[in-house]
Parts: sequence; structure tokens; C-alpha cells
Amino acid sequence: MAADSVLKVLFELEGVFIHPSSEEGGSEQDSLISGCLRIVDKDADVLVEYRPLEDSDPSNMLCAGKDSSSVMEWDQCSGEKLLETQQSYETEWDMINAVSFKRRSVTNGEGSLNPAPCLPGSLNPAPCLPGSLNHSSERSRWAFSFSLSDLRCIRVKEQGWSFLLLQLSESCRSPPALHFHQGGSRDFLDSLRRFAVISQAAGEEVCLMVSSPNRALSQSFENLLDENNFGLVNQKFRNDPYVTTLGGFSKVTNYIFDAFRGTEEQHQRPPEEVADLLGEVIPGLEINQQEEPGFEVITRMDLGVRPPVSRRDPVSSEEWSRHQDAEGRMINVPLLKQIIFKGGLCHAKRKEAWKFLLGFFPWESTVEERKVLHRDKTDEYFRMKLQWKSVSEQQERRNSKLRDCRSLIEKDVNRTDRTNRFYEGLDNPGLVLLHDILMTYCMYDFDLGYVQGMSDLLSPVLYVMESEVDAFWCFVSFMDQMHQNFEEQMQGMKTQLIQLSTLLRLLDLSFWNYLEAQDSGYLYFCFRWLLIRFKRELSFQDVLRLWEVMWTGLPCQNFHLLLCCAILDSEKQKIMEENYGFNEILKHINELSMKLEIEEILQKAEGIGLQIKSCKDLPASISSILGWDPPAPPPALRTPQRGAACSSPLSRDSSAQNGCSPAFIS
Amino acid sequence: MTTKTSLLKVILLGDGGVGKSSIMNRYVTNKFDAHLFHTIGVEFLNKELEVDSHQVTLQIWDTAGQERFRSLRTPFYRGSDCCLLTFSVDDSQSFLNLGNWKKEFIYYADVKEPEKFPFVVLGNKVDVTERQVSTEEAQQWCQENGNFPYYETSAKDATNVAIAFDEAVRRVLALEERTDHLIPTDTVKLHRKPRSATSCCS
Repeated sequence: MAADSVLKVLFELEGVFIHPSSEEGGSEQDSLISGCLRIVDKDADVLVEYRPLEDSDPSNMLCAGKDSSSVMEWDQCSGEKLLETQQSYETEWDMINAVSFKRRSVTNGEGSLNPAPCLPGSLNPAPCLPGSLNHSSERSRWAFSFSLSDLRCIRVKEQGWSFLLLQLSESCRSPPALHFHQGGSRDFLDSLRRFAVISQAAGEEVCLMVSSPNRALSQSFENLLDENNFGLVNQKFRNDPYVTTLGGFSKVTNYIFDAFRGTEEQHQRPPEEVADLLGEVIPGLEINQQEEPGFEVITRMDLGVRPPVSRRDPVSSEEWSRHQDAEGRMINVPLLKQIIFKGGLCHAKRKEAWKFLLGFFPWESTVEERKVLHRDKTDEYFRMKLQWKSVSEQQERRNSKLRDCRSLIEKDVNRTDRTNRFYEGLDNPGLVLLHDILMTYCMYDFDLGYVQGMSDLLSPVLYVMESEVDAFWCFVSFMDQMHQNFEEQMQGMKTQLIQLSTLLRLLDLSFWNYLEAQDSGYLYFCFRWLLIRFKRELSFQDVLRLWEVMWTGLPCQNFHLLLCCAILDSEKQKIMEENYGFNEILKHINELSMKLEIEEILQKAEGIGLQIKSCKDLPASISSILGWDPPAPPPALRTPQRGAACSSPLSRDSSAQNGCSPAFIS
Repeated sequence: MTTKTSLLKVILLGDGGVGKSSIMNRYVTNKFDAHLFHTIGVEFLNKELEVDSHQVTLQIWDTAGQERFRSLRTPFYRGSDCCLLTFSVDDSQSFLNLGNWKKEFIYYADVKEPEKFPFVVLGNKVDVTERQVSTEEAQQWCQENGNFPYYETSAKDATNVAIAFDEAVRRVLALEERTDHLIPTDTVKLHRKPRSATSCCS
């Protein structure tokens, strides 16, 4: 069917509705037709097509599912056909709170075995969705297709949602109104703008005049393509600039990758659906995308060469003592932190140093002051410990929260670092301490309670402190940093995943695009890294090293995100060469556990930090993640300039949201 | 026919500490590690097997059981072909929660016909002497909730683990053969080319 015509899908949007009852000859009084709106390039003619979906029964109005699979076909020059199921790019990653329409899955209840069976590359009129045969003839009557050159005028109307009235040239009958119940009308118009000049009719705000197609704009996109980032697929991009710019680079990168490999069925519905759902619980990934998709500001960040970084030996006891005055105050703390950052601590000093690093002891306190503090904190600890210790069995029976905490803690204590000599064997006192500190922490922060992962954070701290009270208070300080990760909505996790994605996009657009194309752009596979700060990824001794380095707060805020970038940088070649998909990426990253080289990662992460820091015109979103907010300009020099809003601390929030220039290619 | 492989996604659900990861590891690697960590996030392992002359790649998914992680766990329910509801026979609470796990799965996996979906129930840790849940109680629950097959397993001494997974596969294949009969086009999917996932992960 499509063998002799080249067809490209340039834009696609599902959830576009026709209201038959308000249309001429409409017989389905109460039902809406849901369908898919596409802009396609067919034999060098740009067409607008609408196709009703299998099932648009409004009784399906229920869940916030974003089911947006689509199909794309790419014809090679040889005429050999390659089909590629592709998920259309969602510009709105935000959780949809409002009721939306849900399309019934095409898998016909078949689960994962169904790789989106019909690939209507040819866009044949009869939908080949299984089970839809009864309705297809009735529904296909609402399908339409017209050449963009016939489009004369678009009226944009609002009635709680946007709907468009398309008016064609005199010779053609105009199609029914298109209702964008799920949004996307602006995206549609923006896409049209790439092929036609759309201007506002004089004096009429809602009416857009359309004039002859114009391909000049796409040429300019082609010129902006970055050879470095797309080296592998560069040639193909040059041939397909439209698709490139419209479909989002990543998806195209992906299908071209697949095309080169000659693979098929790279995608399956379930990973995509999983990814869609994850996208909903990790909203906000559009953080750096420009406000107006129609007018992309394409600015490449010029990251220089990664500077070489050296590490040093751990801080010795002598070095530590040199940073202490006669009364026990720590002196020259910035330098001390610097050498801890560069080499960590010798194990003998950890017990003392960690209390300062974690903030249990103030750096400027004297030995005497610390004694007083320690006495007070010891009392406070045992007061809280007594609280749960004195709960009777009857009381606990009526306290489900406490009961659940205790049950989970008991289970997890038995499953935390049991091969470590401090926790191994039965009835090891280390296990009792781990349990008691976690129970007392529940009393300290009853709202949070116990969440899985906390035992992982406590275990190394207790191992180093060898003291219940000290370990508790150091754990409290550590939890202050990690608290958000464990909260009800896991906001800390979501924020970090978004921040990491933002960083990775700056550092390695091609890899980020690859991940995005594999439905992994929100980096869910880094979940465990972030939740418990690499505790499960490294050997126990390496965790101690990593954490003390992180607790210096150097060289920037959120250094752990640069560590993620460093690890991903080392894995990217493998992931891309093996063409890993959603599941394989997750598996590969999970299996890195205990195979990572700590000093190498620290070195690389520090290098990446220096690389970013030396970057001119650093996007505000990046500086704010790493805590390098540019100082407010001196009053005398306050001249209006592009991007000036970003440098004002007051506007940081909004600029981070809007991805104030320079924006990235998206 | 025998060269074709089906990929089946199986998910293990149940309270924390009932032994989901241990069951998975026993089945896939035939090992038991008493010091296994509790699962953080989501993991999966693949296993190739042949059931009634069908080549099958089982993709077994294992999740963190705590309530708090629900929002980041449930998306992975999508596309499951079978769900293994797991409890521990020495933990009555984990047994009482089976119904909640079933509900959560049906809701988030978006199962079209829940009454036909292949659930298998596993009562793990039968090697433990102090039971809190009797075989009869468990069997009764399975009968009342959809006539699910019930297996008493021990990841520790390997009791019934492989048998339970085989049963899960059979249930899925039987269901699919029925579907194949009804909609001839679907045969294509069952005998389709193995996915790349099967080759890279072992």
C-alpha cells in the first residue's frame, strides 16, 4: 500500500473529538467521536488527517491515563519498508488532575504479547484495530483528510476547551469542528505554522488566515542541527529535518537507530505504558523546555574539555589535629572540608569527624561545650527511647501506626548489611541497636515514621559511631538532608529525578535523547541511587568514603547528582551500543551494584562539575540546581539585557520554570 | 514452532518481608541468600523455560512492598500476564493483606477482565515451624476470591517454587490459546519474534 508513496507523520495528537450531534446529519446524539489528528507528509504534499479511534464511548471517562501510542513509518531510499511504533511526544508531563478521556487499549486484553498489532503506515481508511469492526464503518464516516494547501482559515473558539473550525477553499467541503478536550490545539497550530503562514485576520482575534505552504523554516532548523550531538545519525537528520524538529529529536534518533540496525519490535506497549504512568507520578520534566513550542530558541551549551582532576590521600589523624585549637575548636574549616572532599577521612578519625560533618557538633564548639551538648542529647535520646519502650502490648494493639513501624523495622533490620561483621549472625548487638535507633527515630519524627531505605542510611552511621546516642543524632542530621525522599508524596525523589534529567540534558544531549526515546527520560532507573545515596551500589567501605565526601557540601550543592551523571557517562556507550530499551536499561543499572569504582566516579563527577562551572551563559535552572546562583548585578551596571531576568535571585523560581534562555534543543 | 519464544511478564506482589525476592532468586538462580537486602525500587530477572513444548521467557518483576512506594511501584504493573500474590505462612497480617494487593494490582494494571486474570497465590516460608496461617484458611481464600491455584512454597529449601511458576505459565498460555481461538489475528503475537530483551539479559 505504502510501497510507492513516502509518508511521514509530522504531528500527531490523540484525544481530538468531533461532536456529531452538532454536526450536519449527526445521528449519534449523545456520543462523541474521539480520534487522532495528524499532519502527514505524503509524496511531498502536507495533509491534515483525522481518524476516529476504535472506541470513543464517553463512559470511558474515568482515569488520567495518557495512552498515546502512535505509529510511524519510514521509507528507506531502497524502498525497503521499516515500521516503527512510536509514542508521540507529550509536551505536558504534568499530572492530569482533571477528568480526561481514556482510550481503550488496542491490545484487546492480551497483555504484553501484543506489540501494537496493526501498523497502519499507509493510513488506510478502515481501522484495523481488533474488535472495532462493528463500529468502524460508522465511525470512519467521520474520518477526513485534506491538503494543507486547501486550508484557508481557522477559527479558534473556547467553551471550556478549545475547538477549531477549519475552513477550506471553496471547492472543498469543510470538515467538522475539532474539539480539543485534552488540550493540544496550540501544539497543532504551532505545527501547522511550520508548513504554512498563519496570520491573524485583521480585527478578528479568533480567526487565523492560512496561506501557501512554506518550507523555508524547516531549512533553518536543519542548519541548526548539531553535528557533534548527532554524529551517528547526522546524515539521516539532514535528510529529514521536518521530522527531526517536529517529532522531537529523541524519537527520531530512536527510529533511525532502529532502522540502521534493522531491528523490529523495539517497542512494546507495556514499557511505554509503564513509562507513561511514571511520567505522571514524576511530573515537571518540561522544566527546561521553552514556553512556546512554536519558537524554539536553540542554543547549544558549549561545554569545554573536562579538566583532569586528582584525588588525594584520606585526611590522617595528624592532619585532623592540626585543624583543632587548644580548646578543641576546629579551625580553618574550609580547608579541612576541602581536603576531606579530595580524599575522605582515615577510618580512625571518622567517628569524631562525622559528627562535625553531619552537624551534630558545631565546628566552632569547644570540647567543654560538646560535653554539655552530648549530655543533653543523651538525655533527650533516652527520653524518646523510653516512650516506645514503655508502650504496653495492649496499647500497641490499638496503635496501628506504631505496630506497622515496629513490624517493618524488625523485618528490615534482619535484612540490612547482614554480611557486615557489625550486623552478622544471630543476636548480634548491632542488630538490636539498629532496631532501637530506628524505633526511637519514629518517636522523634512520628509523622514520617519508618520508611524502607532508612535502615540503609543508618547502618553505616552506626557502624562508624559505635554508640547508640551518637549514631542516633548523626542519623537525625543525615535524615534532615534526606527527609523529602521518604515523605508521603516522595517529593524529594521526584525533584531529584527532574534535576538529574535537567543536568544530563545539558551534559549529554544525545544520550538524554536516547533515554527519552526509550521512555526512560525521567531516569526512573536511578531511583535506588537517589533514595539511599548509592548505599546499595557500592561496597560498605566505599559508601563511608562517598558519604563523608558528600557531607562536605563541596564542590557544589547536589554533588550526588553529578555522581549520577558520572556513572551514566561511563555506562552510556554500552547502553546505546546494545540498543537497550526501557527494561534493559533498568536491569543494566540495577546490576551495576557493587561493580562501581568509587575513586573513579568521584574524579569524574568533580571534573563534570568543573566543566559545567566554566560554562558561559549557564542556564539558570542548572545554576540553581548546583547552588551557583549568579550574584545580582551591581546597581551601576544594571542594564537591560537578554536573560537578565535569570540573574535576579528574586525571579529564580519563575525562570527555572520557564527555562529562561538559553534554552536547550528539545 | 519450537523456535518461537513468548515473553511473559509475571509480577510478585505482597507485604514486605514475605520473601518475594527470595522466591524470584530461588527460581531463577536456584540460590537462597538468608542475608538478602530488602528490595528498594523495582527489579526484574529473566528466565527461559519450556512448558508443554512452548518456549517461554519469563520476565519476573519484584517490587518494594511498603505502602509509601506505591506511586512509583504501580506503573510497573502494566502489561503483566500473571500476578503472584504472595504472603508468608508465619505472618497472618501478610495473609490478610492479600485482598488489598489483588485490588491494587487489578486497579493499576488496568486489567480488562479481572475475573479471568491469572492470579496464583503463594504461601511462602513453609519451612518455618510457627505457622500463623493454615493451609485450609489459605485454600479457602483462594477459592472464594476467584478459584486461584494455591502453592505453599519455601524459597529457602526450594519447595514448590518451580512448580508454582510453571503453573503460572500454563495459566497464561491456556488463556491465550483461548483468545487465539476467538480472534485468529492474535496468533501472530503469540508466535512473534523474541524481543531483544531476551538475548541481552540472562
